[in-house]
Amino acid sequence: MKLHLTTALALTLASQATAADLRMSWWGGDSRHIATQEALKVCGEKYGHTVAPEFTGFDGYLEKLTTQMAGSTEADIVQVNWPWLPLFSQDGEGFYDLTELSETIDLSQWSDDQLATVTVQGKLNGLPLSTTGRVFFFNTTTLEAAGIPVPSTWEEFFSAAAALRESQGEGYNLFNAVKETAQLLVTLAVVQKTGKDLVDPETNRVAWTPEELAAGIAFYGRLIETGAVRSQQQEAGEGNVNLYEKQDWAQGRIAGSYEWDTTYFKYADTLEEGQTIDSVTPIRFEDAVTDGAYRKPSMLFAISRNSDNPEAAAEILNCMLTEPEGIDALKDTRGLPASKVAADRLIEAGMIKPEIVKAHEIAMAASGPAISPFNEHPELRGAFIDTLEEYSYGMIDEVEAAEAIIDAANDVLSDFDS
Amino acid sequence: MTRKRALGLIYLSPYIIGLMAFTAIPFIASFYLSFTDYNLMRSPKWTGLENYIKLFTSDRTFRRSLSVTLLYVFLTVPLKLAFALFIAYILNYKLRCINLFRTAFYVPSILGGSIAIAVLWRYIFATEGLVNMVLAWFGIEPVNWFGDPTNALFTITLLRCWQFGSAMVIFLAALQSIDKSLYEAAAIDGASKLRSFVFITIPLITPVIFFNLIMQMVQAFQEFNGPYIITQGGPLKSTYLLPLYIYDEAFKRFDMGYASAIAWVLFLIIMALTLVAFWSSKKWVFYAGDKRS
Repeated sequence: MKLHLTTALALTLASQATAADLRMSWWGGDSRHIATQEALKVCGEKYGHTVAPEFTGFDGYLEKLTTQMAGSTEADIVQVNWPWLPLFSQDGEGFYDLTELSETIDLSQWSDDQLATVTVQGKLNGLPLSTTGRVFFFNTTTLEAAGIPVPSTWEEFFSAAAALRESQGEGYNLFNAVKETAQLLVTLAVVQKTGKDLVDPETNRVAWTPEELAAGIAFYGRLIETGAVRSQQQEAGEGNVNLYEKQDWAQGRIAGSYEWDTTYFKYADTLEEGQTIDSVTPIRFEDAVTDGAYRKPSMLFAISRNSDNPEAAAEILNCMLTEPEGIDALKDTRGLPASKVAADRLIEAGMIKPEIVKAHEIAMAASGPAISPFNEHPELRGAFIDTLEEYSYGMIDEVEAAEAIIDAANDVLSDFDS
Repeated sequence: MTRKRALGLIYLSPYIIGLMAFTAIPFIASFYLSFTDYNLMRSPKWTGLENYIKLFTSDRTFRRSLSVTLLYVFLTVPLKLAFALFIAYILNYKLRCINLFRTAFYVPSILGGSIAIAVLWRYIFATEGLVNMVLAWFGIEPVNWFGDPTNALFTITLLRCWQFGSAMVIFLAALQSIDKSLYEAAAIDGASKLRSFVFITIPLITPVIFFNLIMQMVQAFQEFNGPYIITQGGPLKSTYLLPLYIYDEAFKRFDMGYASAIAWVLFLIIMALTLVAFWSSKKWVFYAGDKRS
C-alpha cells in the first residue's frame, strides 16, 4: 500500500514542474515593465516558481540577446522580435519547440495561421503576442485649422500637403518620413502598385523589378520635393530626434505619420494640450491593386532551448497569456493580445483603449501580401535606408538607388538559401 | 617559490586575471576570429584572408569610414592639443580664483564622454539650437551643422576638443616645472613673450607634448559615443568612424569575423602611427640631460 502511494505521488509530481528559479527578459517602456513584473509575480506565486526579470529599452536589446544566445546564457523566457527569428533560428533549433510542451500550453488560443508565422522548419519557436500593422495617423487639429479633409488617395494627399503649407506656412509638413518610415513608405508605394512583398518566398530573392522599386523611390522623392515631408538634410540638422520627441510634432506642425497601430499613445501622449491625432484608413493610389498593408506578428515569447526548466517556463508562459491572473496583469502592454482568451477578456472588461482598438482594426482590415521577416533584417534595412539617404541628398537617382537596394537585398537573402 | 613572492603574486592576481579575461584573451581571440566567418549563432568557420581581402578590395564603406576616421584624428588631435596648451598657459598665471578656473576648465573632461553631453551637443548644434541663435543675433544665416556632410564631422570634432581638461592638466604641470630663471634671463636679453614661449617653453615641454600626442591620438581613433549618439554616423557616412563600423558589423549585422578584421586593421594603423611618432620624437623631443645642442 505504502509503495503504491509513493508511486502515485511520484507519478503526479513527475507530470508537473517542480518549483524553479527562472529568468525572463524583454524590452519595452515603463508601463510594460511594471505590468510584466506584476504578471511574473502572480504567475510565479500560482505555480510556485520565482522568475527574475531582466528588462531594458528596445535599443541594445538585440545586441544583448545575441550575445546571450551566443553564450547560451539567455533567460528561460525571452521576448523576441518577430523579424529576428531568421537570425536566431534559421533551422528552427534556436528556441525550444513549444509543440513538445503542448500539454502545458493551451495552443488552441492561437489560430493555425498565427502559429505558422512563428514556426520555423516545423518547430514552434514561440507564441505570438499580438499582430501589428502600420497605420496612418493624422493630427486632426492641424487639418481642421487648415480646413483640409483627411486624404484618402495619394493625389488628395499631395493637394492637402500644398494646401497646408499655403494656409499655415512653410514650417508645416503634412507628414513625417525618416529612416524606417521612409523605407516603409517606399515599400507601401511599391506594394500598392504591384501587390508584391519585397521578398519572393519561392525564390528567396527580391520580388520587385528595378523599375517597380525606382517608381517607389521616385514617389518618396515627390514627397520631399512637394514639402509633404521634410528632407533628410532637415531631419539630420535637427539631430535625428524621434518624431514623438519633436516640438514640431507636439505642436502639430508635422501633421501625420505612418506608424505601428500599437504606438498610438506613444505619439498621442506627447502632443500639446488641444492637439489630437486619429488613425485613418490607408491612403491609396487610384490604380492600386492592394492597400499595401504592412502587417506582422509584433513579437513573441520563446523558451530558451538551454532552459533547465522548460516545463516551469511553459507554465509561466501559459499563465501570462491564457490565464486570468496573467492576462489581467499584462493587459494591453504588448498590443491587442493574439491569444483569443486574452483578447476577449480584455475587450469585455473595457481594458483596451478605443483608440488602440480602432488603429488595430484599420491595420487588420487593410489588404496586402504576406510580409517576409527579411523586410526588417538589420543589414537589408540598413542598406535600404542608407541608399534612400544618398538619393535624398541627390548623390544618386532613383534608378541607381533601386539597383543598389536590390543588389544589397539579394546579397543578404543569398545567405539564407536553404 | 618564496613566501614573499607567492604573496606578491596573490596581490597581483586580481589584475592578472582581469587582464587575461577582459583584454589578453579577447585580443588573441579577435585575431583568430578575423580569419573566420562567425555570426555568433554558429561556430566560427575558417576563411583565411577572405575578410581582409574584402576589406581592401571591395568594401566601399570601409574606405569611406577609414578616410573619415583619419580626417577626424588629424583634425582633432592638433586642435585639442593646441587648445589645451593655450588654456594651460593662461591658467599658469597667478590670477585671483585661479583654482576655480582650473576646476571649471577641467569639468568638461569629466562630463565630455558621457551620453548626456552628447545629447546636449545635439541640441546646441541643432538647426534651431543655441549656436544658430547666437549666429542669428549677428545676422548670420543658420548653419545646418548635422545635416550637411561637410559640417557634421566638425561638430563631432568640437565635442572631442571640448574635453581638453586632462591634456590641459598635464600641460599645466609641465609649465609649472619650468625654471623661472630661464624666462628672467630671456627677458633681460630682450626676448618677447612669444619668443620665450617658442624658444623656451615649447622645447622644455616636448616630452609632455609627445605624451599627450600619443594618448590623444589613440583616444581619437577609438571615439564612439559622440558620433553614435549625435549623428549615428551620418549624414552620408560623413561621421561614420571605424569604431561605429566595427560595432555595426559585430552587433547589427552579426559578422564578428569581419568586425574583428576591421578592429585589427584599426589596431595596426594606431600602432604604425605610434611608431612613426616615436621615431620622429628623436628629432623633436628633448629630455632632461639630453646631450643634443
